Amino acid sequence: MTVDEDRGGELVQGTLEMLVLKTLALEPMHGWGIAHRIEAMSGRVFLVTQGSLYPALVRMKRRGWISSSWQTTANNRRARYYALTAAGERQLSEQRAAWQRATSAVSAILGARTVPVNA
Amino acid sequence: MSLFSDVVERLRALAFRRQDERDLDNELRFHLEMEAEEMRRKGIAPQEIRRRTVLALGGVDRTKEEVRDATGVRWLSDAWDDARFALRVLRQRPTFTVTAVLTLALGIGGTTAVFSAVDAVLIKPLPYGQPGRLVRLYYVDTRRKIDGSFVTPVHYLAYRDGLKSFESLAALNTYGESGGDITGDEGRGARRIHVLYVSRDYFDVLRSPLAAGRPFDAQDEVSGRAIVLSDALWRDRFHRDASAMGRTLTMNGVPYVITGVMQPGFTDPVVIGGAVDAWIPIDLAPGRIPSNVDNHYMTVIGRLRPGVTITAAQAELDALGVRLSAEYPHTKTVGAVLKPLKEDVVGESSRALQLMLAAAFAVLLLVCVNVANLLLVRGSERGREFALRGALGAGETRIVRQLLMESLVLALAGDVAGLVVAQLAMRGIVALGGGSIPRLTALSLDPRILGFSILISSVCAIACGLVPAMRAGRSDPNETLRGGGGESRSSTDGRSHARLRSLLVVAQVALAFVLVAGAGLLIASVRRLRELDLGIRAENVLTFELHLPEARYDSTARARTYEEVAHRLEAIPGVSAAGGVSKLPATGQYNIWGAEALSGPLAGTKSADVPAENRVVSGDYFKAVGIQIVSGRAFNAGDVPSAPRRVIVSQSLAKRIYPGVDPIGQTISAGDATCLIVGVANDVSVDAEGRAEDFVYHPHAQFAGDRNWALAQVVAATTSPEAIEADVRRVVTATDPELVMHHPMSLAEAIGRGEGQRTFTLRLLASFAAMSLGLAALGLFGVLSYGVKLRSREIAIRVALGAEARAIRRMVLRQGMSMTGIGMVIGLVGALAASRLMASLLFRVSPVDPRILASAACCLFVVGGLAAYLPASRASSVDPRTALQ
Repeated sequence: MTVDEDRGGELVQGTLEMLVLKTLALEPMHGWGIAHRIEAMSGRVFLVTQGSLYPALVRMKRRGWISSSWQTTANNRRARYYALTAAGERQLSEQRAAWQRATSAVSAILGARTVPVNA
Repeated sequence: MSLFSDVVERLRALAFRRQDERDLDNELRFHLEMEAEEMRRKGIAPQEIRRRTVLALGGVDRTKEEVRDATGVRWLSDAWDDARFALRVLRQRPTFTVTAVLTLALGIGGTTAVFSAVDAVLIKPLPYGQPGRLVRLYYVDTRRKIDGSFVTPVHYLAYRDGLKSFESLAALNTYGESGGDITGDEGRGARRIHVLYVSRDYFDVLRSPLAAGRPFDAQDEVSGRAIVLSDALWRDRFHRDASAMGRTLTMNGVPYVITGVMQPGFTDPVVIGGAVDAWIPIDLAPGRIPSNVDNHYMTVIGRLRPGVTITAAQAELDALGVRLSAEYPHTKTVGAVLKPLKEDVVGESSRALQLMLAAAFAVLLLVCVNVANLLLVRGSERGREFALRGALGAGETRIVRQLLMESLVLALAGDVAGLVVAQLAMRGIVALGGGSIPRLTALSLDPRILGFSILISSVCAIACGLVPAMRAGRSDPNETLRGGGGESRSSTDGRSHARLRSLLVVAQVALAFVLVAGAGLLIASVRRLRELDLGIRAENVLTFELHLPEARYDSTARARTYEEVAHRLEAIPGVSAAGGVSKLPATGQYNIWGAEALSGPLAGTKSADVPAENRVVSGDYFKAVGIQIVSGRAFNAGDVPSAPRRVIVSQSLAKRIYPGVDPIGQTISAGDATCLIVGVANDVSVDAEGRAEDFVYHPHAQFAGDRNWALAQVVAATTSPEAIEADVRRVVTATDPELVMHHPMSLAEAIGRGEGQRTFTLRLLASFAAMSLGLAALGLFGVLSYGVKLRSREIAIRVALGAEARAIRRMVLRQGMSMTGIGMVIGLVGALAASRLMASLLFRVSPVDPRILASAACCLFVVGGLAAYLPASRASSVDPRTALQ
């Protein structure tokens, strides 16, 4: 679970996968890079631990959303790079749409001031 | 989610497990290094960096575990580890493992082989198109009380022409000589082949078209010198050369034109073993001697028209029979019955096989019981191990899975070994029974049956392997580890298990008793048969077939040659007498031509005409096989064709048709001639079971014109038949280099062939009985030893309180004997129930013979005593000082 409760960030199950997909949509990246990016992009609200990241990567690879290959980093070190596949791209847009539907619904509820009139 | 990528990725993960692990290590190490670098960049103190890295390292193993779970092949790779562990565990206990695997192999192999045999003989349909419509037609005679025999050519032709129920009706000659010597072809030596005489309908009836050439036609049946080769003969002699068609093959000195070749793999339904090398047309020319209305030698098989029942066909047959008896008044008691061909072919062997099946099933049961017992004992012994593993954190499911894997590995090893045993057993079964049980040679391993046996034994192994696992999972490690290990003494679980195991042993003893008693009954039967006085002396007599080819030997030459061969053989040192006969004594019925007294008190009355076996003899046949001439004389050189016809009759026949008068000098009608009785011979049994029949013996010198008798030669040796065989062969070749000495064997062996089925059953049943005895002993031994181990504290207390070693030993022995005793009582009931199945295979032995049942009981008591003795003596040597610590 990608939780850093000290900073108030709680991730709904499955959200990590969406975030990983989003990160990889920008460019292929190795595991540490993915974790680092998510932390940075979330303003260090989300801390991604090894224990949740790597199993998630294996699962996603099994589902065919991402592919992996060993490559050399800028510092000339060997690292496993993950990249988005076509299926992964589709998955990302689906998840993004679902997420947006869910969040707007939640904020609509949280922002409500009057009881809606029954139709 | 794509199912395809999922499966591919899982399989890849499984296949490259080691590579993946290395990759994961590298990946996680890279992660930590990047983390450390990042911290350095942020200016965190090196000490703090080291502290955090070490902390993070602690999480690496958990991460790895979670990654492994995420691969989706976790259960499979675990199973692989379990299997390797199971192999190691099984290797550590070789005695247990070998015993269990061998037991399983015997059960699986034995049952698979016997089930396959039963399937091949009894269950599989005959290998011809629409086999359900095939029937066999038997001749019956109400007056002569003959209820199933061969048909005359006259009747066969009448049936073939007159019956509308049949699509086709074929006649075969399986009765007379069936060998042919093929010579001279392409410079190759003489060879004896198995020839079958068949009518032109034969191939139609069996729906078996020729592979090449044409079947026989009406012309062939009259003047036929045509021959159809088997695929094997075509291959051996002509190398499958199509130009062989139309060429000639010389057989018995006569040229035959090859008109066709049979399909490969074709077997005849009636000939036992089914192997025929060639078919030639049966002689149906009208007016010839073999075609007369009293000459019963044809086997008739037919194919019913679609929709015609066997009852309807029988009714038509009976109606035709009435018309025929009007035409041939003296055959008015002759009729015919129909029988489904498969039933006819399988016939008597079905009893033997059913018995085998029952025995094999009993052994499979025993095997399952034994494996169950072994695993139960083994599981209890390992209570401590499971408790320890549980205490170290292995979950219950994990332990159960591990045990399941052990049982699976064990069952698998048993299955593989069982397959080997099955193959060997089947080879043995064919070797033992192929000559006496029809269709057995077509035996092949049936995968369904193999699967069935494997399933049964594996389920048994797995189920029994799981019982202790369940208990281990439930037991409190604290308790078990502190106690003596294994089943805790107070546990009711343990006691109910002990009771279950005792029950299993009782069942084993019961089954073993049934099998041992069965084998005992058969052994007694075979011994009775051996002790039987058949009226002949079969020891040290060499027999062989000698065929004189018609082309070079006319009836005069045949008459002379057979006598000459006998004389020359008698000149061999070590030979006391030699002769020939149309059918070896005690090997079954042959020419039942009957006999009628033409003189004496009964002449002209109905009781003067009786059924009788007729035999044609040459040389000094009577002396060679030890038949006494009780009055009158044996045949001699004076009994030539020009002299009046002479016969010798058996004592019983003489008494029957010449009551109160001297049979010598009386006249008798036998073999289509009026003959003078010159001698009376002692009675000889017609088969190996001592069935008495009346006999008329004709001298071959006077009878050679009737047909080309291929006389079986009998040579009495003063030492052993083997010792003279080479000399005999020399004499035969010296007489005529082209003559072949066929099937040399001892007379005892030839007679024993008729008992093939009984011996086959006996050998199989005896091996099953031995196996079951061993299994029961093993089971008893296992349960008692385990009981002793379990009770070692109790025994130690007894010893400490002054019990003598002898009393302890007696206590364990008594326990073993009481289990044996109870098992035997149950077994006795089983044996009585099974006696019905045995009855037809027994000979002059009651299926409930008390002496045999008692012997079987003794046998089991001895084996049970031996099995109980070891644990008993171990119990008596329990040392209270060590056991009570």
